[in-house]
Amino acid sequence: MEKPYILHMLTTEKNLSPFDVNMAQDAGWQVTMPYVHVDADEVRALIQDAIFSRGPAGVKRTAIFIGGRDPEMAIKMLISAQEAMFPPFEIPVLADPSGAFTTAAAMVAAAEKKLDEKFSLQLPGRNILILAGTGPVGQIAAVLCAKAGARVTIFGRRQEKARRVADLCNVFFGEGKLDIRGEGNDALSDHLPTADVVFATGAAGIQLLDKEQVVLARQLKIAVDVNAVPPSGIAGIDNFANGTPIEGSPSGAVGIGALAIGNLKYKTHHRLLRLMRETDKAVYLHYDQAFTTAREITLSPR
Amino acid sequence: MTTRSVLHMLSPRPQVSPFDINMAVDAGFDMIFPHANVEPNQVHGLTQDIIFSRGPSGVKKTAIFIGGRDIGIALDMMETIRKAMQPPFEVSVIADPSGAFTTATALVALVEKQLKEHHHLELKDTRAIVFGGTGPVGISTAVIASLAGADVTIVDHLSLDTAMQIAEEYNRRCGCNIKGTFASSGASKAWLVARTDIIFNCTKAGIQVLDEEILETAKKLKVVGDVNAVPPAGIEGVKFKDSGAPLLTAPNSPGAVSVGPLAVGNIKYMLQNAMLKDLLLKDKPVYFDFREAFTRARKLV
Repeated sequence: MEKPYILHMLTTEKNLSPFDVNMAQDAGWQVTMPYVHVDADEVRALIQDAIFSRGPAGVKRTAIFIGGRDPEMAIKMLISAQEAMFPPFEIPVLADPSGAFTTAAAMVAAAEKKLDEKFSLQLPGRNILILAGTGPVGQIAAVLCAKAGARVTIFGRRQEKARRVADLCNVFFGEGKLDIRGEGNDALSDHLPTADVVFATGAAGIQLLDKEQVVLARQLKIAVDVNAVPPSGIAGIDNFANGTPIEGSPSGAVGIGALAIGNLKYKTHHRLLRLMRETDKAVYLHYDQAFTTAREITLSPR
Repeated sequence: MTTRSVLHMLSPRPQVSPFDINMAVDAGFDMIFPHANVEPNQVHGLTQDIIFSRGPSGVKKTAIFIGGRDIGIALDMMETIRKAMQPPFEVSVIADPSGAFTTATALVALVEKQLKEHHHLELKDTRAIVFGGTGPVGISTAVIASLAGADVTIVDHLSLDTAMQIAEEYNRRCGCNIKGTFASSGASKAWLVARTDIIFNCTKAGIQVLDEEILETAKKLKVVGDVNAVPPAGIEGVKFKDSGAPLLTAPNSPGAVSVGPLAVGNIKYMLQNAMLKDLLLKDKPVYFDFREAFTRARKLV
């Protein structure tokens, strides 16, 4: 009998996300084993237990998924996992807390594609606003845009929190090389006139940009909204929007809605899970590889 | 549809060990279900929930694994589970906390084999000391060697009280006859080493317990076994793949041979795999603990 594919799924939360379990099963992981309430300092021992009991052939059919809610914690756990490996006993690891890495990667890749298609522009030098951007998806979208060369501002209800999150992005995720700004929502009207791209990453059912604000954004090109529950996060973008003109936009901006993002996120997540199953090498996957993968998919959709 | 085989894996710890989960999957169980943070007072209820939902043919495709780190707790859980069975609603059970039962039985069986081959002696003819003797693998090693007739002393690196208390506890539980002592200095280790036939090293990985200087005091050493797979060797001079190689670091015990961690690991792996597979093969439910493991380990080596 061939050894089954085993994915050990770790989360700091009290439940593993059923979304992630379904995804893993559909990507061919036959055994999806949950480990909940995992402490960061347990990761090393769990990894070493996982790598030593199946022999070299089994190692090729074993991998780790890191879930949870917090991107910073997930990256720290990913680093601990990597440090715990003992070559040749080394297995792939994917971190995607709250699905934030694959969702953010899908948002940025989709925006990049439309920016090129409709306006022949690239990300470097663009002004990008991340609305309700202090959560997991917002943080990582900001990091990916800034790494790609854009000027990024994270907006939140409280300026102080937005700045704290921007600092985390710059110092931790960006290793001190990024310059993301943080602002309170009261400063939004000052930034809208120069915005090229807007991402809305807020909770479902909350409108972050209304019709009047869309009019204020007089050089807006792309607006992306992941909110699938009415009212839409950005006025004029419905769930099905995918490069669809936004009514009332003075600059002819186009919108990308929840379904287009969800579809690309799904494909990206699936491809990363399959990559772990098919690769012979130990790979350590997070938002960077998610973004590379999402870009590949937007360039050659299948 | 054929009835799928299910292994319920119980652990008092926050996580069921991925090591054991991998082993169970590779032994062919269709479904592995982890139960972590299991409290002693839940074991009876869990067992009855496990045995009553699949009918008489379903129980034949169902088994329980007991993990965790503490062998006393595991043995207690085994006893509670046994009492909770309601024949014909009865399933097979295996206990291997921390992998200690399979590791220790592999270690003792390999050392016993070298003792016979190189020195024509049985365990009952020998005095043995166990370093790391108060951890799971050390305790299991001591219990198994003592039940096989050796005069066994477990060594704690800090506390005499701990060693004595554990010796007493397991003598009571398992009907063996272990002594306890402690050795924190080189001199106290040397005193023990000078008088022993067998040394088992079951300390934490990566710690050298006995160096060449201490081993020089060994006058009647016959066999050493070391489970530490992370350099440096727990007993200086023991090599990773040793299986009866001369121990050159004990010059005053010519003929002393060593058993290294890879030899132990191989037997441990085969043992655990075979016992997991056999849980569902027998017509009657089985209860596998260190006793079954040792019977099999002796045959395997």
